[in-house]
Amino acid sequence: MTTTAFTVRADRALADPQLKLAIERTTGTARTKRAAAVAAWPEFAAARMLGKDIKDHVIAHLGHYLAEFERNALASGAKVHWARNAREACDIVVSICRDAGARSVTRAKSMLGEEIGLPHALADAGIERVETDLAEHIIQLAGDPPSHIVWPALHKTREQVGELFRAHHRDPGAMATVEAMVASARRHLRGRFMAADVGISGANFLIADSGAVCTVTNEGNAELTTTPPRVHIVTAGIEKLVPSTAHAMSLLRLLVRSATGAELTQYTTFHRGPKRAGDPDGPSEFHIVLVDNGRTRMLTDGLADMLRCLRCGACLNHCVVFRQIGGHAYGGTYPGPMGAVLTPVLDGLPLSQDLPRACTLNGQCQEVCPVAIPLPTLLRGWRDRSWREGLEPVSVRGFLGIWRFLVLHPALYRLATAAALPAMRLFGRGGWIGWMPLAGGWTRHRDLPQPSGRSFMAQTRNRKPSA
Amino acid sequence: MSGARNEILAAAGGASTDPAAIAAAAARLLDRVPGLRPDRVSGRPADAFLLRASSPAMGATAERVASLADFPAAVRRYLAAWTLAPALALQPHPALRALDWTGIEIHEAIGLDEPVAAGLALGGIAETGSLVFHSGPDAPTLFGFLPVHHIVAVEADRIWPWLEDYAAAFAPASQPRNVNLITGASGTTDIEGALVRGAHGPGHLHIVLVDPDPAPPHPDFPATTIAKSI
Ligand code: SF4
Repeated sequence: MTTTAFTVRADRALADPQLKLAIERTTGTARTKRAAAVAAWPEFAAARMLGKDIKDHVIAHLGHYLAEFERNALASGAKVHWARNAREACDIVVSICRDAGARSVTRAKSMLGEEIGLPHALADAGIERVETDLAEHIIQLAGDPPSHIVWPALHKTREQVGELFRAHHRDPGAMATVEAMVASARRHLRGRFMAADVGISGANFLIADSGAVCTVTNEGNAELTTTPPRVHIVTAGIEKLVPSTAHAMSLLRLLVRSATGAELTQYTTFHRGPKRAGDPDGPSEFHIVLVDNGRTRMLTDGLADMLRCLRCGACLNHCVVFRQIGGHAYGGTYPGPMGAVLTPVLDGLPLSQDLPRACTLNGQCQEVCPVAIPLPTLLRGWRDRSWREGLEPVSVRGFLGIWRFLVLHPALYRLATAAALPAMRLFGRGGWIGWMPLAGGWTRHRDLPQPSGRSFMAQTRNRKPSA
Repeated sequence: MSGARNEILAAAGGASTDPAAIAAAAARLLDRVPGLRPDRVSGRPADAFLLRASSPAMGATAERVASLADFPAAVRRYLAAWTLAPALALQPHPALRALDWTGIEIHEAIGLDEPVAAGLALGGIAETGSLVFHSGPDAPTLFGFLPVHHIVAVEADRIWPWLEDYAAAFAPASQPRNVNLITGASGTTDIEGALVRGAHGPGHLHIVLVDPDPAPPHPDFPATTIAKSI
């Protein structure tokens, strides 16, 4: 097997027992809670199809809804900006911050912000960035990228978080329990909320008929990020549109149950324009940056289905590969099955062609996806494309070439399998093969079952056709 | 950036269809909603709301009083049950100011770590046990996020059965700067998936349903019980 950046990262992850423990603690809870929430909703399957149809409707009329959203957002007093790519989006955000004379910005978790590289852009511009979501705070202190789209610090055990907080918080306390760690983060960030010049957040939904931006959060940090500063900036992918608040409600039921198993997050907030006359609080300037960054290209590249994604994370929690290697091994902003589909769009297939192959095609992701995205089909599409564009490593192309030759010549194929089986048995111990030439990629982390006595074809050859 | 705008709109496509046809298709999608919701709003919306708002998963407590005039007494009982000092930040709402707060020190500016705030929600949603707040002169957004304890009165005739019923009650143009649907106390599962209350928002939410005509009274909620369960 060829060594690539991905295989190196995956190897490192597989060798880290702490990581597996951390992943299993959070994704295990998430799977149990989601299953209970879905079981308590007999109409879930039909509701999921409605969710899919709502998103498909918007995607089919994306230009119409974008224009309607812009019109209504402007009418509410918002300023609307458009960015074709990540660089344009960051430039817009940085220039708004500069115009506001911002020294410090608070930020509520947004995967789009990570996608466009906003943390780096702010650092390059010399603007202090304070992450206020607990998980984002943890990974900011650790200097890590997020490893999950709902729980960005999923790769950290409680012991590791305790160590980080002891090292960085002014008044860390005992750190004996998770409660004490949460309380320490609350104390540490409290004053920062009020001191920020600009607050930056993302969007779960953009409501076309009102121009509102909907966010769903649990901690309360998002509203403390977006309310006190003089300027609030929203960065949002253009696929987040829905026709109306009522349509958002149907998607909220699906999103929250699929993400955390709750019926609704603690805080479902609709932001619509800046502070109004008589408002005691709220930002004086409200900016919305609408970001394309490959999304309109997905429309014409056979990836329109992926634009339905609600970023719930269920496909990650249920993926047998993600659960083994975690999020960082994927090397992109988005990990897991949805990441393996999106990363080639964002980073290009030559840099990410390993990802669509890091998948067993067991279909779990598609089954749990609340908007029925055919993730395995999309991943197969990338594999086809990778083959057509000659991106597969020489060893893979060579192996498949030999295999193709053999299956087209059945006599040789039988000869080859007849020779291979006894050879494989030579390496077997107690029914399992722990090491074998050419199979290191498999046997490095698990055993291969020793083959049975005769090949399938040999076993069926003499069997009489049943009457 | 009009170049970017026009380019994105052109690439997004779908703008050529008749807007009326698009609106009709969007409305047809919503026709399917009533048959698809998790069935949990039967009987009076106010009763269903109270049941959900006080369910253990919510991390909130709830009680019922007969009139808004009883709200200060409910607040006093809550402060006593938690042995909190008799002082609070009062949401600057005329209906709250008009109440008799004797024995409690009242202020309208809210502090960064305000121990207790009392407020009045615009309404509630029975399906999810959510409180609805619309920002405005009498409802600053930060009142829902800064206090450690948030005690909220909500009137029984302002409980919408479903999320969509709330959405239908406000035309797009009449919506406020901020809508906050608050569903239970602040919480986080960011460290190993373990749920901890009181992350950045209130760790404690107490809901006082003002219900002059509870018919029939729910056996789980006799008129003035205060449940200190969190
Ligand atoms: S692809 Fe589906 S399951 Fe995965 S994050 Fe997106 S919506 Fe959730």
